[in-house]
Amino acid sequence: MMLSVKDISLQLGKTTILDKVHFNAQAGELCVIMGANGAGKSTLLKVIAGEYPHYTGNVAIKDRELRSMPVKEQAAVRAVLSQQIMLTQPFSVEEVVGMGRFVYGSGLSSSDKEIVSYALKVMQVQHLRERAYTTLSGGQKQRVQMARVLAQLLETPDLHTADYTGRKMLLLDEPVTGMDILHQQLSLQLAATLASRGVLVVAVLHDFQLAAAYASRILLLKNGTMYAQGTVEEMLTPRHIKDCFGVDVNVLEHPHYNYPLVVTAAAAGLFQSPAPKAINVS
Amino acid sequence: MNIKRFKHTGSITFLGILLVLMIIIATGTGAMHISPIQVVAILLKRIGIQLPVSYEANMEGVLWMIRLPRVVLSVLIGAGLGVAGAALQGLFRNPLADPGLIGISSGASMAAVVMIIVQHALPVFSGFPAFNFYALNIAAFAGALLTTLFIFRIARNGGQAVISTMLLAGIAVRALCESVTGLMTYLASNEQLRSITFWSLGSLGGASWQTVLGITPFIVIPLIFLPRLAPALNLLALGEREAMHSGVKVPQLKAILVVLATMAVASGVAVAGVIGFIGLIVPHIVRQFTGPDYRILIPGAALSGAVLLTVADLLCRTIVAPAELPVGIITAIIGAPFFLWLIIKEKRTILA
Repeated sequence: MMLSVKDISLQLGKTTILDKVHFNAQAGELCVIMGANGAGKSTLLKVIAGEYPHYTGNVAIKDRELRSMPVKEQAAVRAVLSQQIMLTQPFSVEEVVGMGRFVYGSGLSSSDKEIVSYALKVMQVQHLRERAYTTLSGGQKQRVQMARVLAQLLETPDLHTADYTGRKMLLLDEPVTGMDILHQQLSLQLAATLASRGVLVVAVLHDFQLAAAYASRILLLKNGTMYAQGTVEEMLTPRHIKDCFGVDVNVLEHPHYNYPLVVTAAAAGLFQSPAPKAINVS
Repeated sequence: MNIKRFKHTGSITFLGILLVLMIIIATGTGAMHISPIQVVAILLKRIGIQLPVSYEANMEGVLWMIRLPRVVLSVLIGAGLGVAGAALQGLFRNPLADPGLIGISSGASMAAVVMIIVQHALPVFSGFPAFNFYALNIAAFAGALLTTLFIFRIARNGGQAVISTMLLAGIAVRALCESVTGLMTYLASNEQLRSITFWSLGSLGGASWQTVLGITPFIVIPLIFLPRLAPALNLLALGEREAMHSGVKVPQLKAILVVLATMAVASGVAVAGVIGFIGLIVPHIVRQFTGPDYRILIPGAALSGAVLLTVADLLCRTIVAPAELPVGIITAIIGAPFFLWLIIKEKRTILA
């Protein structure tokens, strides 16, 4: 078992954020965590990322309890892309991506450099390599961070022959926020390719269509608990979505692809405010 | 990549050459003028190389016993302040962290002043000058360490030092330390008063080979170990969380940074008093040329700090010769306007 999460509960201050969350994930899966704001998606990912070691329950990576793994060992297995990375120093794009290789020893070897170049190329930021990170747009920054995380994960500058089964895990917290549609697709295709090479990918996403197209499994969180988990077809139903998000949707069959189309119903009834008073237009 | 590497080795070589030139000029300048070529000849003679250059016999004594220890001391302290500034800016993830501004130097100086008074009050201390000297060093180090931990504790919020809190805490700590120092001044005898004044303004006037030897280990250890932390410091710039995800043992890194940086600052304070702004200015100047990469910033800050303090000390002992200005005044005259300029230039980004 690549990742096993057993009855995780977590309190921050006095608030219970996660309550007995339970799931297992195998190498090669692309698990998408979904849920409304405040459902505990990011927190669950952070627990797996080792940020809240005071959880109760068990998190095991490759059958080893997370808390007993040294930081370096964790970083060699698991790469994490967080939200809102604040880098205010004008490092060059290439330097930022190069930081991903830290865990493999200080000083970039020639194979490290090849992996960095490859990651820059995959995320289509190669032309920005000399640019100062601080001068990039939000979406470009996000691509550079993705490239850094990719550089941490990869062992060779090649995505198509390597086999990472049971050895690598990638956590993505809303990885496509701020990206244009092309790079959203590119990022998730990359995640899917990594999964096909044996990497376990766990991603928090908000977009039903991206989840439907790329997830091998969806975990639905609600109020800090695991509401349901299963395949795309099992999870993306009007009932589940209404329960978790409070929105009425239609789920249609996609005319060309074998995954569903989620369409929000006309947004009537969301605002139940009193009828507006007549305004005197003079 | 290659252009960058060239730029890196280029800046280090340039700074290295500049430092050697400054050392030669500074050791040659003073009441007795010794020309650069004579300085080189005297220095080389010590290691057995005879140059066909003539110099007066007493030049050798002046150079060895008076000038050189002072220049070496300024090089060591300047380098120590430079790397400490770079390390603290990395630790606080903030370009305004400076050992003087956030009160670390005041903490060290207060502890040293208290030690001076205690040493005179307790008979145990008389008769062991070497012990006294190290006791002073250790007191300064303890004072600096406690201040750093205190400020760091107060200023941190969610893994990042809040700049306004850090500066405000710095002001409060400085006021507190200075009031204790003031109280000690009140209690001090005339002789003690002279040493205390010297502490609060900063001066390299007390330089001798003994002081140089005394602080060398405390400066050399940070100079050796801080560059090894550079890759981890780069990751810390991304955030404590990202650094952890990438394999940095963050709590350990922070502890080592605090110890090494305060060691470098405190040993300087112990022999030369509070010399402000070097730790603030130097990393900024270096960054303008090399970028923020700590692998180049730390050695660059060591060399530039050494150059800057050597020049400042040269100025303070020549412009009002035969009298002498405290070097802390010179660095503050250069540093304070620089600090203002920095705030104005970056007010939108760094004070957020």
